[in-house]
Amino acid sequence: MALTTPDLQALEEQVPRDIARTVTRGDRIFRTLCASAAAVSLFIIGGTALFLAIKSIPALQEAGLVSFFTTSVWNPTVGDFGVLGLLIGTIIIATVSLLVAVPLAIGLALFINEYSPARIRRILTSSVDLLAAMPSIIFGMWGFFALQAPLVGVASWLNLHLSAIPFFRLSEPDAPLLRSSFIVGTVVALMIVPIITSVSRDVMAQCPRSQCEAALALGGSRWGMIKEVLLPFGKAGITGAVLLGFGRALGETIAVALIIAFTIEANPYVLEQGGGSIASLIAIKFPEAQDLEISALIAAGLALFGMTLLVNLGARAIVRRTQIAA
Amino acid sequence: MTTVQSPQTAETTAANRQVVSSEILPEELHPSSRIDATDVTCWFGKRKVLERCTLSMEPGEVTALIGPSGCGKSTFLRSLNRMHELVPVAAIAGTIELDGVDIYSEEMSPTEVRSRIGMVFQKPNPFPAMSIADNVLAGLSLSGMSNEDPKALVEQCLRRAGLWAEVSDRLNEGGMSLSGGQQQRLCIARALAVHPDVLLMDEPCSALDPISTRVIEQTIRELCEEITIVIVTHNMQQAQRVSDKCAFFLVESIGDPGRIVEAGPTTQVFENPSDPRTYDYVTGQFG
Repeated sequence: MALTTPDLQALEEQVPRDIARTVTRGDRIFRTLCASAAAVSLFIIGGTALFLAIKSIPALQEAGLVSFFTTSVWNPTVGDFGVLGLLIGTIIIATVSLLVAVPLAIGLALFINEYSPARIRRILTSSVDLLAAMPSIIFGMWGFFALQAPLVGVASWLNLHLSAIPFFRLSEPDAPLLRSSFIVGTVVALMIVPIITSVSRDVMAQCPRSQCEAALALGGSRWGMIKEVLLPFGKAGITGAVLLGFGRALGETIAVALIIAFTIEANPYVLEQGGGSIASLIAIKFPEAQDLEISALIAAGLALFGMTLLVNLGARAIVRRTQIAA
Repeated sequence: MTTVQSPQTAETTAANRQVVSSEILPEELHPSSRIDATDVTCWFGKRKVLERCTLSMEPGEVTALIGPSGCGKSTFLRSLNRMHELVPVAAIAGTIELDGVDIYSEEMSPTEVRSRIGMVFQKPNPFPAMSIADNVLAGLSLSGMSNEDPKALVEQCLRRAGLWAEVSDRLNEGGMSLSGGQQQRLCIARALAVHPDVLLMDEPCSALDPISTRVIEQTIRELCEEITIVIVTHNMQQAQRVSDKCAFFLVESIGDPGRIVEAGPTTQVFENPSDPRTYDYVTGQFG
């Protein structure tokens, strides 16, 4: 270090100094209040998970942790519980609702963003918000009384023309079609359309106008622009929006409990009467449950909690990633 | 389509044209199209931004639109390929004819207009999700056209845009990996791939360094052999270097719409303008 001058040495030794941070009293109090509010949300999630975990221990011990997730029984008198069928049923209903909701929601989002005149755009936007605010019991009743009949018609058409696809088969030709996973899934779809629509709208609205103009200036049609520029740009964000909708569909309770002909066993015949989901199990069994059955219902709730938490975290991560990229 | 050039224009053309190395030009070198704008007035909502602009853009010539900021040059340019109407409150009056056919009439669809009259924007805007080659071919997939030899088309367009030598070994890399000047030439190549008769350029060099600018100006001079070019520029030297003809736009006083004060051969507009306001502007005495 012969060449080092005293000055350079001084520079090398320098460390970041303390910066005085004087905060006024009012600021300190306000900051504490805000921090407490933030802490509450974390506490609620942690508290809920902890509560569910502790309360579900008795039932899980009685039924066995493995068999609780690998069998389909519900027999409180002998303490035999298994939710495999309902886990599958939950995913079936949520999948049906996605298949119905995704094309509807993306079509709606594209129409609002790209095709509709300004006045209609405002009306549509607020009606989508209104749809999101509609209580699910209303959807449930409407689905039960008004939608079932037409949907049974759709179901028998699907069975008649598309039974090459296993999804649309029936266990026997005359199987009843009311109160099916298909009908429930369709009703749930209407509830998740708003969230998918508004998130994918936001994502696609972030597509730089210069990209869209470039596509149009090349002689592209609107559809060409959507296909080549807008959808590739929004791909990840729309996936996130769909997952958010999926998360909501997994947890939807009241409409499912109201409409479905509840069975513990998974029903692979989607168009046919009978099916179930974790949330509807809890809603249906809870009023009359005691002791161990309550614990078992809580354990089922824990499984649903875990499932939706994972889906939502995944969805948020994907949406956030696109927002940063944009 | 017969090309009629006044002797004066022909002279100017020869004087302005720099060394043109036309290494690759398509074999069907057809005389390109003309655009005639007549009494074009543009509004955004209630605000009239452009009034009764009449200008002919001749085949095989470069027409420069000059004038201070906010005088309606870009609006005029965007009205030439129906990009103006993409703004929801935009309105237009007058006629714009491409080889005698009104582009706002039912005889032409907006997509047809835009594929015959291409556009290069102020800020380079290659499609970020596409490779260099896909960017060049984007116009084809966007408008549902097909090409039996896309590879050759990519090479031809990149050569015409003066970019081939720099990117020929990395056609599959993303378009955003290029420098600003290269991106702009990629956008030119992309516009050329749909075989436009006219190319509109909205300050194509304003975001670029002088060297990139030079290359693009050279490209413009080469392209105008076969394509009619209209360019908006703030750069007086650039207008003199690349254009055969010039139109000077001006807003008289605040709140007025922009109007064309003077249009004519570039040398005349710069060296012997007929309007004193043009003289003031081109000699840098205002604006």
